[in-house]
Amino acid sequence: MAVRAQFENSNEVGVFSCLTNAYAIVAVGASENFYSVFESELQDVIPICHATIAGTRIVGRLIVGNRKGLLVPTTTTDQELQHLRNTLPDEVKIQRIEERLSALGNVICCNDHVAIVHPDLERETEEIIADVLGVEVFRQTVADNVLTGSYMALSNQGGIVHPKTSIRDQDELSSLLQVPLVAGSVNRGSPVVGAGMVVNDWLAITGLDTTATELSVVESVFRLGEMAPGGAAAGVNKDSIVESFY
Amino acid sequence: MVETSHMEELLKRPLYVYDLPPELLASLTAKTTSQPVAEQEPEPSPTDLEQAAQDSAIATSSLCSLCKVSYNSVQEQRSHVRSDHHRFNIKAQLRGNAPLDEAEFAKAIGELDESISGSESSETEEEDAEGGTDTTLAALLKKRAKLAHPNEDVETEGVPNTPKQPLLWLSSSSLPSNTSLGVYRAMLSNAEQDEPAHLVETLRRKQLAPIKARTNNKAQDAAVTGPHIFMCMIGGGHFAAMLVSLAPEIHRKQGGVEDRQARVIAHKTFHRYTTRRKQGGSQSASDASRGAAHSAGSSLRRYNEAALEKDIREVLSDWREMIDTAELLFVRATGKTNRKTLFGQYDGQVLRQNDPRLRGFPFNTRRATQGELMRSFKELTRLKVSQVDEAALAAAEAKRREQELKASTPVPKPQVQKPKLSKEEEAGLLHTSQIQALIRRSKVPALMSYITNNSIPPSFTFTPADSPQNFRCPTPLHLAAHHDAPAVVTALLTKAGSDPTAVNNEGRTPFELTGDRATRDAFRIARHDLGESEWDWEAARVPSAVSKADAESRAEKERKLAEEEESSQRKARLDRLKREEAERAATSRTTKSGARTVGGLEKTAAERRDEETRGMTPEMKMRLERERRARAAEERFRKMQGQ
Repeated sequence: MAVRAQFENSNEVGVFSCLTNAYAIVAVGASENFYSVFESELQDVIPICHATIAGTRIVGRLIVGNRKGLLVPTTTTDQELQHLRNTLPDEVKIQRIEERLSALGNVICCNDHVAIVHPDLERETEEIIADVLGVEVFRQTVADNVLTGSYMALSNQGGIVHPKTSIRDQDELSSLLQVPLVAGSVNRGSPVVGAGMVVNDWLAITGLDTTATELSVVESVFRLGEMAPGGAAAGVNKDSIVESFY
Repeated sequence: MVETSHMEELLKRPLYVYDLPPELLASLTAKTTSQPVAEQEPEPSPTDLEQAAQDSAIATSSLCSLCKVSYNSVQEQRSHVRSDHHRFNIKAQLRGNAPLDEAEFAKAIGELDESISGSESSETEEEDAEGGTDTTLAALLKKRAKLAHPNEDVETEGVPNTPKQPLLWLSSSSLPSNTSLGVYRAMLSNAEQDEPAHLVETLRRKQLAPIKARTNNKAQDAAVTGPHIFMCMIGGGHFAAMLVSLAPEIHRKQGGVEDRQARVIAHKTFHRYTTRRKQGGSQSASDASRGAAHSAGSSLRRYNEAALEKDIREVLSDWREMIDTAELLFVRATGKTNRKTLFGQYDGQVLRQNDPRLRGFPFNTRRATQGELMRSFKELTRLKVSQVDEAALAAAEAKRREQELKASTPVPKPQVQKPKLSKEEEAGLLHTSQIQALIRRSKVPALMSYITNNSIPPSFTFTPADSPQNFRCPTPLHLAAHHDAPAVVTALLTKAGSDPTAVNNEGRTPFELTGDRATRDAFRIARHDLGESEWDWEAARVPSAVSKADAESRAEKERKLAEEEESSQRKARLDRLKREEAERAATSRTTKSGARTVGGLEKTAAERRDEETRGMTPEMKMRLERERRARAAEERFRKMQGQ
């Protein structure tokens, strides 16, 4: 299922929230509509945590996590960390990282099996990512951008990369990650797909401006809704869909 | 048919030299050494769990477009992406530098001080090397084109005059005829190497029963007593050493799958900062060649070198017992310092240079790390599988020969010319080089003894006469004059009897090539000493004769003149300085008094004294006053005495 939402007149839902298969984290703010979107989809399925990181609301850009763990930057206060520990399930490991590139959501893009990270990330950070999130870590760029977390949205089912990623790079990444990838945009042509949407294995939330075509690309590549296995359009070739849109 | 498929299955898995499958072992035969064989690495065992989940939509890429490295499976791709090579290229790309391909990277890896996340280079080399194994012939030709693998070149060469190949080849009757199995020569003891005919028996003797990993303590004991090898690498401040048991260890995985692993008895790695960044080389080498530097970094490195040596020797002495019982010792230590660390004379020395068990690694190795040691161990102890079609190989060989022949035909000229040199010419060349060297260094006694010993005639000219360096100076005398060596000139003229009238190709006599007076005087003195009748001195263009005494007295006179000149100049300078000093003093006095008057009336001495004593206690004032009076009295006495 793919839905649209807005955080206080901003389309960049990936900036203000973080969604995984085991929990969701949303920023504290005055945007009740935003929470109700999350709650209507996720109530009683996974815990939804209202949190700030280092006193800011851009939680989605500062933290990164998956089913197994959550990484927060060194600027996170002890209270915030404690609050996260209290709210999230016990099996989720939470770790604070000492890393110069502190906007972890921008420099790390991961699902439950693999992570694509900024090439300049420190060696220790790479090891922590591998340990806490239980993933294989690869240093790569997305369409020659080092901010992999910003320009790529990834779930266990598929991924969307920057619309200008070359076919060859897509193939390489797809083969590396072992998930299907498409080059696409969200929020009416925004190339920052990582920051413009959040996705897990059964739900994607994009900005309110996202067009219907963009939304159906999202649904098809992440196999949400009727595109999911057994859905109406199961078995439709990815290439034909993509070609018809662009 | 069933059997062959079974054997092919066998080849899929890595073949451990010390634990070969019995059916394969029974059918092995040694190949003759002259047979050329190309190497092909075995495929890695497929362990893809995600393969099942793979969807048709997942693209498969077989080439890293950045590094130009190809791979066959996802595992290979992933290990490539994690390799230093790929990381380096990503960083290079971000900085706008051109990415390096594999060979360039291997070459550059020692020089570049790029931070590539201090990791060891895992197993990329091995995996990349098996890149395009579509056809064995293609692989063979590709390998030949590669520059970075000298040992493989030797393997594929197959020329009869390369007796020691690193690999010994075996074939098996149960395998297809084009399949060969290779074992590293270094894995055999010296005695075993001497009788290559008994290679198969040797291998059969070497088979070891695997150890079960269950009983931990027992296995430990067995490993210590059982056959094992010692491996160590040292270089660039890195040190890695490992004792490995040759008997494989069986681990029982889930589902009863048996997994064989190497059993590492002990291992140790060190790293110290000893190499000079950017300049390269070790500190001790730099100290030896340039003298000790006194920078903070150099003393750090010096300390670290000593500490590393101490650490290494401690580890070696800790392992002494096991090293002494080890079957083979594989050591990589290049450079004086590194060899000294291991083999240098010290108390309780463990490794000895003349140890018959000592081996080098017969392939390229990288930075000394535990991972690299493990890779080397695998490389050494696994059978190389090569599948080469003999016919195709022969065709390729013939083609190569033909090309070589073609390449060699246009340049037969030097080959023809060289043997035409006669004995005399050769001697002439030798004399030329010797005499020229002696003259350049002004070695008069050596030159004279060389000339007399070899009875070189006075009319000797340098050969070959048409070479550019002999154009200007065809005779020893010309050369001596040209190099401004008066002693040599004198010796050649008076003792060797060289002809001063000889002309070079520009028509000049030796005298005309001289560059300074001393050399010219040497000619004139020689004219005086030898007499006018000896040579036609006019033809030699030597001016009138002077006796040695005359020349010396003239030189003395000139020296005196120069000294006088010098001293008068110095005096003038001193005078000028004195004058300037006086002037400056005068001007400063006037400016000082001028400054005083600017403020108003000039102060009297009493006023100045008042100013000085202002703010003092009465006692201090009194003391000051008393001192002043005492000084005045002393001055008066002195004046009286002076008069």
